[in-house]
Amino acid sequence: MKRKIGVYICHCGGNISDYVDVEKVRQAAAKEAGVALARTMEFACADSSQKEIAQDIQEGAVDSFVVASCSPKLHLPTFQSVAERAGLNKYQYVHANIREQVSWAHSDDKEGATAKAVQFVRAAIAKVRLAKAIEPIEIQTQRAVLVVGAGVAGMKAATSLAKMGVNVYLIEKEHFVGGRVSQWDVLCITEETGKDLVTRFYIDVVANQNITLFTGAELVECSGSMGNFTVKVRITPRYVKDICEKDRMRRAIEVCPVEVVDEFNFSITKRKAIYHNFPSQYPLVAVVDMKHCTRCGKCEKECEKIDFSQEEKVVELKVGSILVAAGFDPYTPKNGEFGYQVYDNVITLPQFKRLVAISDTELKWKGRPVQTIAYIYCVGSRQLEGENKYCSRYCCLTTICAAIKAGEKFSGLSHFHFTRGIRTYGKYETFFYEASKRGQVFLQSFEDDPPQVTQKDGRTLVRIHDILTSRREVEVDADLVVLVTGMVPRTDGRIGEILKLPRGRDRFYNEIHMKLRPVETVIDGVTIAGACRGPQNVVEAINSSLSAAIKSYSFVRRDTLAIEPIVAEIDPDACTWCEACAKACPFDAIARDASTGKEIARVNTPVCKGCGMCLPVCPANAIQLRTFSDEEVQQMIGVLAHEL
Amino acid sequence: MARPDLKFGKKLKKYGAVDFNACYNCGTCTAVCALASETDSFPREMVRYSVLGLDEEIKGSLKPWLCYYCGECSTYCPQEAQPGELMMSLRRYLISRYDWTGLSGLLCRSLAAYAAAFLAVVAGLMGLFFFSGWGQKEWMHYGHLFEMAAIGGVFAFILLPNIVRMWYFTVWKRKKTLRMKTYLLALPELLLHMFTQKRTLSCNDERDNTLWWFEHLVLVLGYLGLLFATVFLDWFASTHPVVVAAGYVLSAVVFVVTFDFVIRRIRKRSEKSVFSHPSDWFFVIWLFLMGISAFGVRLLVDLGALAGHFWLYLLHLTVLVQWALIIVPFGKWTHFLYRSFAMYFDRIVKMESPAA
Repeated sequence: MKRKIGVYICHCGGNISDYVDVEKVRQAAAKEAGVALARTMEFACADSSQKEIAQDIQEGAVDSFVVASCSPKLHLPTFQSVAERAGLNKYQYVHANIREQVSWAHSDDKEGATAKAVQFVRAAIAKVRLAKAIEPIEIQTQRAVLVVGAGVAGMKAATSLAKMGVNVYLIEKEHFVGGRVSQWDVLCITEETGKDLVTRFYIDVVANQNITLFTGAELVECSGSMGNFTVKVRITPRYVKDICEKDRMRRAIEVCPVEVVDEFNFSITKRKAIYHNFPSQYPLVAVVDMKHCTRCGKCEKECEKIDFSQEEKVVELKVGSILVAAGFDPYTPKNGEFGYQVYDNVITLPQFKRLVAISDTELKWKGRPVQTIAYIYCVGSRQLEGENKYCSRYCCLTTICAAIKAGEKFSGLSHFHFTRGIRTYGKYETFFYEASKRGQVFLQSFEDDPPQVTQKDGRTLVRIHDILTSRREVEVDADLVVLVTGMVPRTDGRIGEILKLPRGRDRFYNEIHMKLRPVETVIDGVTIAGACRGPQNVVEAINSSLSAAIKSYSFVRRDTLAIEPIVAEIDPDACTWCEACAKACPFDAIARDASTGKEIARVNTPVCKGCGMCLPVCPANAIQLRTFSDEEVQQMIGVLAHEL
Repeated sequence: MARPDLKFGKKLKKYGAVDFNACYNCGTCTAVCALASETDSFPREMVRYSVLGLDEEIKGSLKPWLCYYCGECSTYCPQEAQPGELMMSLRRYLISRYDWTGLSGLLCRSLAAYAAAFLAVVAGLMGLFFFSGWGQKEWMHYGHLFEMAAIGGVFAFILLPNIVRMWYFTVWKRKKTLRMKTYLLALPELLLHMFTQKRTLSCNDERDNTLWWFEHLVLVLGYLGLLFATVFLDWFASTHPVVVAAGYVLSAVVFVVTFDFVIRRIRKRSEKSVFSHPSDWFFVIWLFLMGISAFGVRLLVDLGALAGHFWLYLLHLTVLVQWALIIVPFGKWTHFLYRSFAMYFDRIVKMESPAA
């Protein structure tokens, strides 16, 4: 059947027509084989123009069309929708960009611009001649979401999804929920402790029938794609069946002879091999740390609920979307960085916060009373040299709040903040004001002249050339030096590797677009929330978790999901399974398939992004990309090369 | 190398400083100050020194005296850190630092000490009243002698040594100069500022600053005139009509202007009268009481009724003794000297600086 191609050339109100002779382009297009009509339009995107195109299609004057206007990034969906409204398959429309690539680029050469526009339009016509109607790929979706990480972001997202009627599998690598927030004592602004906040989220989680919580659970494998993932989760047992009667658990912990460094308190204290981080931590059942347990059996005598017969298991779950809220690690200073690990009274901010939280009547470090505290800011953030160029955002505020709280809890403290400029943005500025007003001293230096920490005669001295005092050298004799460490991505990045999540320059998981698609990743169906996206405070983490929940919901809300059919297709006769395409695929969308008796490559269409990386590596030329077939591309090149 | 001392800030609060710790070093105060210049940058610098508690820098600085408290800095301070009142407090603090006896500081920091000193004077005079057996004539005779002795004594033993100390901290420690030529050439600065306070006029005049300056000038001249008339011309005993009339006018000037100053401090309409330290209150109220009681005593003399109302003279004498023994040597009165000497010393330092 002969094609009836419509060609619509846009003036763009002069943006194009000032430099491109659109009438000449129209005339050239009209001469092309198969072109039934060619029109110019003042604004192709205007309602009236859209109606005109639709009318041409509906009247049968046109069965495929080319629009030559601005970048397809702007209006491709507009004209695809025109086609669909008029009952035409949207892949039978081809776009030519004669604004960004022609009129704007060649405003000094009207003739050349016009000639180039003609070529572009003719190439588009060559392509549309071969355009086939193709239908979107439909996938059956699982009405379930896997939420990775039961910190505040993960728990909030899980509850939000569950309330929308989705099954949620909430997995937490640790044996207790709450993540980093459970480690903080009083949180800024709301005056709530991290523990209280976590408890509130936890109550919401366990109260919802739609949520299944797995603790000690780690994602170990993931296959499938958007709408239909199959994940394997390894679950480490607690070795404790239930809550022990009365205070038997306390006794069981007491009798444990093993002492290990307590990471919950950032190594400033020790814990036992059977433990909970604090008595009311959720879930309320304690855990045996089998890495360190000597199986001496003392705890078993105290509590009958301890059960060493529990075994590790792997469960398989089917979900439509994965929401990653894996959190962050605090930056660990390098040995010798501001005296860290060299002087025993140099600690990090998280350690300081735990120290304040667990100290009762007096603030002491290593047995010595603490009165003067020096806080050195931006340790591991805003690095001039080093990989962390970014600002960790939360530290200024959290340090100031910790100092205020410490000052309220213990009398007689002096606080000296060695800053690089305070960034208590937004509403948090009032805390900076409050701290200053209470007599806490803020000193400042530039990045090229950081404070120096030295020890002399058993005293720890912090020196700075204070730019607020005409760069005068100011020295503080500090009992405790607190390094205000920022956020870095989790050292354990296995989850990112398994899901193939891209990372940004800051090494946190990357969103597609900071403003337009802030919680989606290039892996369709996988969303990110909380501090694994980059440094953020609790408020921001909750915001992003609610966004991510909605985005994840959009993948599972219907039984089926339609996705773009521009994917690679294998010619089973030509394919010899050399594996080159599978190796080239950045999304793991190609796998071996022997189900037909012959070993060939099979494209997992929902995973395929249509990037085309597999095409040039195929020695047998057995792969074609839909809408960009060899024939289509060759025809276009033919037109463009011929004209040159 | 400077070592911060946070106790300094707490101490300074007793001298009247408020919320200066809230400063975030934006420098708006210095930018809006009409008296600050590239060479004399304040108040931010002094605020910063106060926050860090750099006592040596503050003790050696004349900048607090270069400020005449128009209050623009406090008006525009985004942190409401009251830089104007900080400068005022630093002046009180400096007065106590210059004073070798340490009594200035004690009185400034403690209202109780002030009250005790005033009561001690009252007790002493009451003791004298009951045990001396003096009559009206003796009282007025010794009262007059006291005035002379007090002026000489306070000046020789308190004020002069204190000005030498001020010179030592602010000039000698910085410049170590004794060049006579410099000291002589700078001398007009001392007299000019002592008798005109003309720097006030350079302040931003948004809040009747010029009127305030005029009142203050009249008060200074009125006070000095009254001092001269009572001490050297013996106004209470004089029969010379010009002296008698001048005494009435001068004492009236003193109590009328100080009355207005008290009202200003009560109304708090301008920045400089928002905060009043006890030493400010004592200064204006006692000056007022001195003026009005002196006026009253002379009036009784002229009406021939002093014998019947001799209590008024005793009241006047009590106020006078308190003034001469407490407020003049250790109270706010000294700003009269330090302010003008500061201008003098500042000129000396600048003349000895190579850049000048």
